[in-house]
Amino acid sequence: MRAMVATALKGLRANSLRFALTAASVVLGVAFVAGSFVFTDTINARFETLFTDVYAGVDATVRPDGQGAGGPNGDSFDEAVLDEVLAVDGVEAAAGGVGGFAQLIAADGSPIGGQGPPTLGFSWTDEAGLNLLRIDGGNGRAPVAADEVAIDVATAESQDLGVGDTVTIQTVNGSGEYTIVGLAGFGTEDNLAGATLTAFELTEAQRVFDLEGRYTTIDVIAADGVSAEALVDGLSASLDGDAGGSLEVVTGEQQTQEELDDITTGLGFMTNALLAFAGIALFVGAFVIQNTFRITVAQRTRELALLRALGAGRGQVTGVVLLEALIIGVLASAVGVGAGIGLAEGVKAVMDAVGIGLPDGPLTIEPRTVVVAMAVGLVVTVFSALLPARRAALVAPIQAMGEPVARTTRRSLRTRTVVGFSLSGAGAAGLAAGLAASNGTTLLMVGIGAVGLFLGASTLAPLFAAPVARVLSVPLRGISGTLARENTIRQPRRTASTASALMIGVALVALVSIVASSIKASVTDTLEQDVAAELVLSTSASLEGVSPVAVDELRSIDELSAVSPILTGTATVAGEDVNVAGVDPATIAQVYNIDATIDLAAIGDGLVVAEGVAEARGWEVGDMVAVDYGPERVSTEVVGTYDGSVLGNYLISADTFTGRVGDGPISLTLARLADGVELEPGRAAAEQALAGFPNIDVETKSETVAAAQAEVDQLVALFSGLLGLALIIALLGIANTLALSIVERTREIGLLRAVGFSRRQIRSMIRLEAVMTAVFGAIMGVAIGTAIGFGVVSSLADQGLGSFGFPGTQLVVWVVAAAVAGVVAAIGPARKAARLNMLDAIAHS
Amino acid sequence: MSTITAPLATEEANGISAPPAHDMAAVMIGGVKIYGMGETEVRALDGVDAGFRQGHFTAIMGPSGSGKSTLLHAMAGLDTLDRGSVFIGDVELGTLNDRKLTTLRRDKLGFIFQAFNLVPTLSARENILLPLSIAGRRPEFDWFDHVVATVGLGDRLDHRPSELSGGQQQRVAAARALVSRPEIIFADEPSGNLDSTSGAELLDFMRRAVNEMGRTIVMVTHDPVAAGYADRVVFLADGVVVDELSDPTPDSVLDRMKVLGGPS
Ligand SMILES: Nc1ncnc2c1ncn2[C@@H]1O[C@H](COP(=O)(O)OP(=O)(O)OP(=O)(O)O)[C@@H](O)[C@H]1O
Ligand SMILES: [Mg+2]
Repeated sequence: MRAMVATALKGLRANSLRFALTAASVVLGVAFVAGSFVFTDTINARFETLFTDVYAGVDATVRPDGQGAGGPNGDSFDEAVLDEVLAVDGVEAAAGGVGGFAQLIAADGSPIGGQGPPTLGFSWTDEAGLNLLRIDGGNGRAPVAADEVAIDVATAESQDLGVGDTVTIQTVNGSGEYTIVGLAGFGTEDNLAGATLTAFELTEAQRVFDLEGRYTTIDVIAADGVSAEALVDGLSASLDGDAGGSLEVVTGEQQTQEELDDITTGLGFMTNALLAFAGIALFVGAFVIQNTFRITVAQRTRELALLRALGAGRGQVTGVVLLEALIIGVLASAVGVGAGIGLAEGVKAVMDAVGIGLPDGPLTIEPRTVVVAMAVGLVVTVFSALLPARRAALVAPIQAMGEPVARTTRRSLRTRTVVGFSLSGAGAAGLAAGLAASNGTTLLMVGIGAVGLFLGASTLAPLFAAPVARVLSVPLRGISGTLARENTIRQPRRTASTASALMIGVALVALVSIVASSIKASVTDTLEQDVAAELVLSTSASLEGVSPVAVDELRSIDELSAVSPILTGTATVAGEDVNVAGVDPATIAQVYNIDATIDLAAIGDGLVVAEGVAEARGWEVGDMVAVDYGPERVSTEVVGTYDGSVLGNYLISADTFTGRVGDGPISLTLARLADGVELEPGRAAAEQALAGFPNIDVETKSETVAAAQAEVDQLVALFSGLLGLALIIALLGIANTLALSIVERTREIGLLRAVGFSRRQIRSMIRLEAVMTAVFGAIMGVAIGTAIGFGVVSSLADQGLGSFGFPGTQLVVWVVAAAVAGVVAAIGPARKAARLNMLDAIAHS
Repeated sequence: MSTITAPLATEEANGISAPPAHDMAAVMIGGVKIYGMGETEVRALDGVDAGFRQGHFTAIMGPSGSGKSTLLHAMAGLDTLDRGSVFIGDVELGTLNDRKLTTLRRDKLGFIFQAFNLVPTLSARENILLPLSIAGRRPEFDWFDHVVATVGLGDRLDHRPSELSGGQQQRVAAARALVSRPEIIFADEPSGNLDSTSGAELLDFMRRAVNEMGRTIVMVTHDPVAAGYADRVVFLADGVVVDELSDPTPDSVLDRMKVLGGPS
């Protein structure tokens, strides 16, 4: 056993640089895993501290039923409830408040904040124990008059605003001028995770939020000796039946927890993004690791055979290789955990820099983080080494005597073909099933299907390596090209698995480009063919949407013949969570060509369903389906079907929407110009009418198309940037494989040099090998990415993705880029090969 | 046959050497090659003067470690001397950069090594044509056919080295060394790995290359029988030329080796 350990250690030392490069891919993957855990735990811990602190004084909260932690769009109740609350036994103090959307407008008329974190408005609470906001000495005072506000310290600093300054604030009710009298912090923080906070005096707050005489919450302090639970019970009992029985009382603790959950799910996208990239990095890394072991095992065939000849069992030989993997896994994972902590710190710094400030404090590193990240790194490394380890065990003692021979038998080729096709088939099936299904397991199925497809493709890849290399080398002239081709073909498995690592990254990039260009094509088609309106109105802060007051303003001008708001939200239709759109029955037909079986003016309180969905679900016009709008379940009639569009699969009337779904945002308003009104004057008139709503953008159709395309392009750039990581790992893999194969070919390269190959010809041979491998991987990637992309796009056809966009040029660019990357990956190995000492090659026979 | 050794301008070994006589294909003057430093210093070549006449077949013999391979590598531009100079024709190798040296090897020199002579991914034909392919020159088909016929490889040309016997591989290497019409062919124990029949075939072929094609061959060998194919034998010991023998036969070589002492 000791001999085995010594052999393993020797193997590691002999190839330490190669293994370090291999380990790099494990380090990256583990870093992302650890980073996402540390980041999530830190957010949770910091906000928990902050919220617990801020809500420390609140023992109970009264709020509209079923609302959850109060979003600004929630329901409200009569302010008279406060008197009842105060009359309940055990209540020491209570204060009512309102909240809603409040947008600060900069001096140049542009909205401040709101790109991501929300812009929240509150009423100022005088009751010290119940006030979430805090104004430190020197930062002014609380707002007491209607034209006074306090804003958060962070926003004041970033906008260079101070006490005494005047500022415009826009709410659902239009805009007004206010004097800043105080700069407030949220608990110990200057700000709440980047949100812009504005506090009004109570009556003014009720006015601007359109909630005169109403509250959205009442916070309560318990009298001495009264527990929060007892207080909640008492309040519930006496408020029962008030406000139509639609009130709910929860403990301060629960309210805190719900607020906390809201924030952490809001920030959870970072966690998911980090984990997704961890998965991709590890998957790609697994190929690189496997290949490194495959090659080092091949190079040590003699040594392993000698071990076998001296009596080592198969298991022991496997053990040597796995032990090496274990050691690399442990080292790389440990480095990865460290890097992950750095990554979490970095992400936090970036979020701070872009204004999503997180509360200060140390990073939270749970033992779980270290254990899971280490385990993931170890499992991936050892698992990747399994196949090479098994091959090592198959080395026959006799091979100690001769040259390592790569044997490919007919049988193993047949097995490979069968396994490869089965895996690809299963993967494709999983993918198709995942895409066809419309419930929660979808993404997982798609992911597993894609992994299956990748594994299947990489299993089949060795069969294609030779033909592809032959085709690729057709334009190559000269002996370097011939040799490069033959070297690429000589170890098809090695070439294939090196290329497979690149394939994954390229496939994902191709997929993103295809989906993106399909989205662009669909948006363009829809806007150009289906939208009859000339003007499109929307807000940059999509959370808030266009104010209904703004819609009324637009309707009052002559230049527009029709103004049609479209509301979007979610509901549960027959048990499935779906997006629903609320359309204005009177005007929708004038701005949007919807091909429906009924006149939408007659939609009433019924439901119009996309044809595809109706067909899939077996619904006929006249059927009743159960629709859950938040708290209420309503049996709704399917009154018609339509051809489906970007509006989604379910249409209801705007009235039904506001009545049932709640005040969902008007995400889009379409306006039609009156006869004889030119585009620019019409737009100018609309803009003038919206002077009080600077957060609304008025765009022409072509501007909207351009803006949508730019947005998609930005997303693509972001994704491609992140996927670049997978490509870098794959390139490391190419460099690694080449460098290792050069060690194997020392004598051959020396021989070539002796008979007259110049250094330059050696370099160009190695470079061509890298390029062929890279292009092979890129072509496979583009093929698979296109296949998956086609599946994704067609499965989303009834969600408005009507057009399949094939970004041909872009894909060609990716293949060319892969070739260039291959050249870069070959720099080191090529230089090394060119510098090989000829005599080493010749003398050591 | 002339058997003149050419210790030219020996006294000036460390200075600028005079160009060698016209009929010399390759000349080493005052060649010194030192490996290691201080305690471990080995003088692999310790002032070697040797000339190789055009159209002659010279064998180099000597005990193991006497510097034969080192001499050959230095002559062939595969390695550099620490002192002294090597001329191929009237070109001094020391004045050439790597690129020029590579071109010279490609166009003027041929090699046959003891083993691992062939590129495993190329067929016998491609291996034979390798120097021409590298240079981007078109093969002269008559010459190619003649060489191949001489080596006797006609039906094996499309096989890879792994599908050829050791003797066949060495003959492919010999054909490669000839096909680009190099001025000199260097061979380091070319028959060392072969059985006596294959070895004899190869040596016979080399002899004919000299006689019929007018090549110049320098061959390192331990085998008196192999040396018997040469026009002349140069004996090395401890990095210096200690003796030489013209028109050798296996017996005369063996006798001389006994006189010089030690097994070679
Ligand atoms: N790269 C090297 N490093 C150090 N010493 C070397 C090196 N190459 C050769 N030598 C030494 O130089 C001397 C001459 O070596 P060379 O290979 O020329 O001998 P040789 O006559 O060819 O021997 P053989 O018949 O065994 O092939 C030997 O002592 C050898 O140990
Ligand atoms: Mg030797």
